[in-house]
Amino acid sequence: MNISTKNIQDSKESYFTASQSQLIWARFKKQRAAMIAAGVLGFIIFIGIFAPAISPYDPTIAGRDKDYMNGAPQIPSFCDKNGCSLRPFLHGVERTRSAETNFRWVEEPNEDIRHYVELFSEGAKYDLFGLIPMDTHLFGMQDADKKIHIFGTDSSGKDIFSRTLHAIFTSLQVGTLGVLISFVLALVIGGVSGYYGGRLDSVIQMVTDAVRTIPAIPLVMSVAAFVPSEWTAEQRFFMIAIILGLIGWPTLARRVRTHLLTERNQEYVLAAQLCGASSSHIIRRHLLPSFTSYIIVDLVISFPYMVLTETGLSFIGLGLKDPVNSLGVMLQNVTKADVLLNYHWYFIPVLFFIALVMAFVFVGDGLRDAADPYGESKK
Amino acid sequence: MTEALISTKDLSVEFLISGSLFKPKVLKAVDGISIDIPKGSFFGVVGESGSGKTTLGRALLNAVSIANGSATYDDGEVKYDLAKMTSTELKDYRKRAQLIFQDPYAALSPRMTVRDIIAEPLEVMGLTKSREETDKVVREIAAKCRLNLEHLRRFPHAFSGGQRQRISIARALVSRPQFIVADESVAALDVSIQADVLNLLKSIQVDMGLTFMFISHDLSVVAHTCDHVAVMYLGRIVESAPTKELFNNTRHPYTKALFSAIPSLDPDAEKTGQRLYGEIPSPTNQPSGCTFHTRCPFVQDICKQQVPKLEVSDKGHSVSCHRWKELMDVAAL
Amino acid sequence: MKPLIDVQNLTLLFDTDEGRITAVDDVSFSIMPGEIMGLVGESGSGKSVTAKSLMYLNAPNANYADESKILLNTEDVSLDVLKLTTQKQRNVVRGGAISMIFQEPMASFAPAISIGKQMVEQLLLHTDMSKAQCKELSIEMLDRVGISDASSRFNQYAFELSGGMRQRAMIAMALSTKPKLLIADEPTTALDVTIQAQVIDLMRELVDEFRMGILFITHDLGVIAQTADKVAVMYLGRIVEQGLVRDVIRTPSHPYTQGLLAALPKMDDLESPLKPIPGDIPSPLERPTGCVFNTRCGQVVGDVCRSKTPAWTETSKDHFGACHLYTNEVNG
Repeated sequence: MNISTKNIQDSKESYFTASQSQLIWARFKKQRAAMIAAGVLGFIIFIGIFAPAISPYDPTIAGRDKDYMNGAPQIPSFCDKNGCSLRPFLHGVERTRSAETNFRWVEEPNEDIRHYVELFSEGAKYDLFGLIPMDTHLFGMQDADKKIHIFGTDSSGKDIFSRTLHAIFTSLQVGTLGVLISFVLALVIGGVSGYYGGRLDSVIQMVTDAVRTIPAIPLVMSVAAFVPSEWTAEQRFFMIAIILGLIGWPTLARRVRTHLLTERNQEYVLAAQLCGASSSHIIRRHLLPSFTSYIIVDLVISFPYMVLTETGLSFIGLGLKDPVNSLGVMLQNVTKADVLLNYHWYFIPVLFFIALVMAFVFVGDGLRDAADPYGESKK
Repeated sequence: MTEALISTKDLSVEFLISGSLFKPKVLKAVDGISIDIPKGSFFGVVGESGSGKTTLGRALLNAVSIANGSATYDDGEVKYDLAKMTSTELKDYRKRAQLIFQDPYAALSPRMTVRDIIAEPLEVMGLTKSREETDKVVREIAAKCRLNLEHLRRFPHAFSGGQRQRISIARALVSRPQFIVADESVAALDVSIQADVLNLLKSIQVDMGLTFMFISHDLSVVAHTCDHVAVMYLGRIVESAPTKELFNNTRHPYTKALFSAIPSLDPDAEKTGQRLYGEIPSPTNQPSGCTFHTRCPFVQDICKQQVPKLEVSDKGHSVSCHRWKELMDVAAL
Repeated sequence: MKPLIDVQNLTLLFDTDEGRITAVDDVSFSIMPGEIMGLVGESGSGKSVTAKSLMYLNAPNANYADESKILLNTEDVSLDVLKLTTQKQRNVVRGGAISMIFQEPMASFAPAISIGKQMVEQLLLHTDMSKAQCKELSIEMLDRVGISDASSRFNQYAFELSGGMRQRAMIAMALSTKPKLLIADEPTTALDVTIQAQVIDLMRELVDEFRMGILFITHDLGVIAQTADKVAVMYLGRIVEQGLVRDVIRTPSHPYTQGLLAALPKMDDLESPLKPIPGDIPSPLERPTGCVFNTRCGQVVGDVCRSKTPAWTETSKDHFGACHLYTNEVNG
């Protein structure tokens, strides 16, 4: 057998022995848009998880720069009229504001003073992953008194770049928790409904529909308004996640129920029952694997909704509060005319979130297309 | 006469269908069936849609509940009343009676390897003690069904219809049952593969001493493979006899119509024969008296009023028709 | 007399993710008016794809070879179906000169519109009759196909009819535009055998009455033996044998036809064992080289079967087979 035939044989054999998840992954890889989105998603999640290390400063009040409030983004340069250097630097600035400038800060760069940026600089202390105490940040200023603000600062001098990264992480946390809660609820409620069918199913469906008809925004707002303001930021955080989970479960429960109802009547389930298999065996070995791929798709697709709902809540002040920091919190001050006219860099985090949500959506779509062709493998 | 492995008397299966909550409609899928399936036989059950043949098969396997009448399983070792089994008896019965499905694409779990699919009954029923023992049994049975080691590692999507059906058969055989219900097991297969699977079933029967109940709508397939045939129409048995006898001495008008409806391979064959008019009535709306009377070319008043009894004659040939004797005499003239 | 439909060298390839699949390979046949032609094959034989080509109904990823021609000759039109480029031109052929009925009648009728409405719609599209005239003709056709109480059935929905009646209604709808050619794609496969017999009888009567041609596609040789005048046997996209039904079934010249016949249960000999054709039908992605049947043939004559595609040979009058057993190409 020559080599090319052997290769064909091998690839065919690997197709024959590929499990369902391997097939889905292979199909997923073929979709360009989904793969790019997956890369973007991975990147954003990465910078979210490593936010404390990548960001130069503490995103809370403690890390603010009193000298540079509402400051424009500072992009370091490599060369100026005095020559180039390997190390990027910022020019010294003099900020003035007066009646002539409409009380707007005006910056005058002083080209002779250079402040160098260094990599892996020492800075504020933090705990990586909440466990390992570290104080090295990805980059910072050589001169500890000076600060660099790539995305600018807000009205109290907090570095927007640092805040953005931390906000991503917070949103990811809240979203994950919310998705998990709604998933567990959906699995239990939808599972019981779909597996047992009959009257029980009808009753549960009526309840699910009733919950679904309650308008989400007023519901969420009213529950959130009841959260006592004395609660710590952490407690609020969990509360918001729980609220999100409670809104999300009906849709997911319906999906789980539908999957179960169809799969339950498949002939291979009957075959297992005729061997005397117990309900738990059937659920474990036949039913759950059959819709795991669909459920994963549902989870990925519902993630962005969680993030957006949380953003909305926090924006109107009913969600997370300082010092816990999310996109919604960052956007709280955006409605002032001042900001809209002058401080446009406040909107930079929005770009990140658009990218995050779109990445989730594309990956979810790609997964759904990859998981669906099971129907194509029939004759 | 060999003892009957399965014996039923006036077996009925009913289903509750829609209707309202307070006046549910009952569908009698199987109505008053009395058959004896001899041990070691290849027993065919033939019928069109609504005949209840699939429901009968499933009732005998306890996949649907028996409403009235009795069914007994007796293989010499144990004797079970299929209508009232305790859960221990049911567990044991599952090892002795299995089902082969019609649709080779729906009957295999797409997420399990062939080895796992075939091994599942062993694992669920606790028939083997170790993984090596399971593997050994799986390999043996797979070899009987002409599946080799390579096939065992693959997933169902790698196989054609005929091969999948062989996997289904292997799964049914792995617990060494006595009784197998093959429900339209070759209907979805191509002709050239169909013959292959039928031959496999017959050779396994001889090899493992099994009793088959072969359900099909295809009378020509049944006539070729079975040694005894029962013809069902709308839940009742209209005629039942050893195959040759049924073919040579057809008594019931429906059976005659079934035979003549099979398109013959001879282009010059007479294109007459008995044509049935009208549609098959819906099982929810069964005609009174003899259920076949709406389509019978020989219908008389008595047919609309009384349900004909199943009359057993010599040579094990039973018919359920008010007029079969006179029709035979007329034909003989 | 020119043939009603003349298919010449039809070759069809599909572009799929897995590559180019040859679905139909150099298929040629013709049907005269008033003739019933059977197209027999198992799964993967390409018979359905061939039939759909006659109305240009295949998916957009279908590629027809340049030399393929499908010539339609009726009193009104004379054209090559494959050369029609606009939807408008094709719609003249579809439902007008050529009508098609399918295996699954539920798939043919829209579930939410009554049958009558659909039949009238089709007539309005293809003829100049008024709505009232269309309704009258539709009810007449429903009655003609043996549906009792046609005028009330006219207003019923597809799910309210049984399988056999739906199939008849589909035949009525297909015939109401008086097509010259009816393509029946496995029309009786899903029906009970007693209903199948009724529908076959009906189709034969209608052919006589309307002088149509029918292309009858099925895997059931028995149905063909009783219904068709000519038959072509297909395997993996090629026609392996063609001829009058009597000749092909009584004296099959190709090993595949012989194998099919041997595998069928015959009612006149209940004792004889069924002889399957060994092996499995190859997937269309793995078409054998040379003669397409060589991987399963019990009468392979030598390497030529694996390397060269056999040419058509007339084994008896108007009876053709494609097999190296009777070409003069045997090695050694």
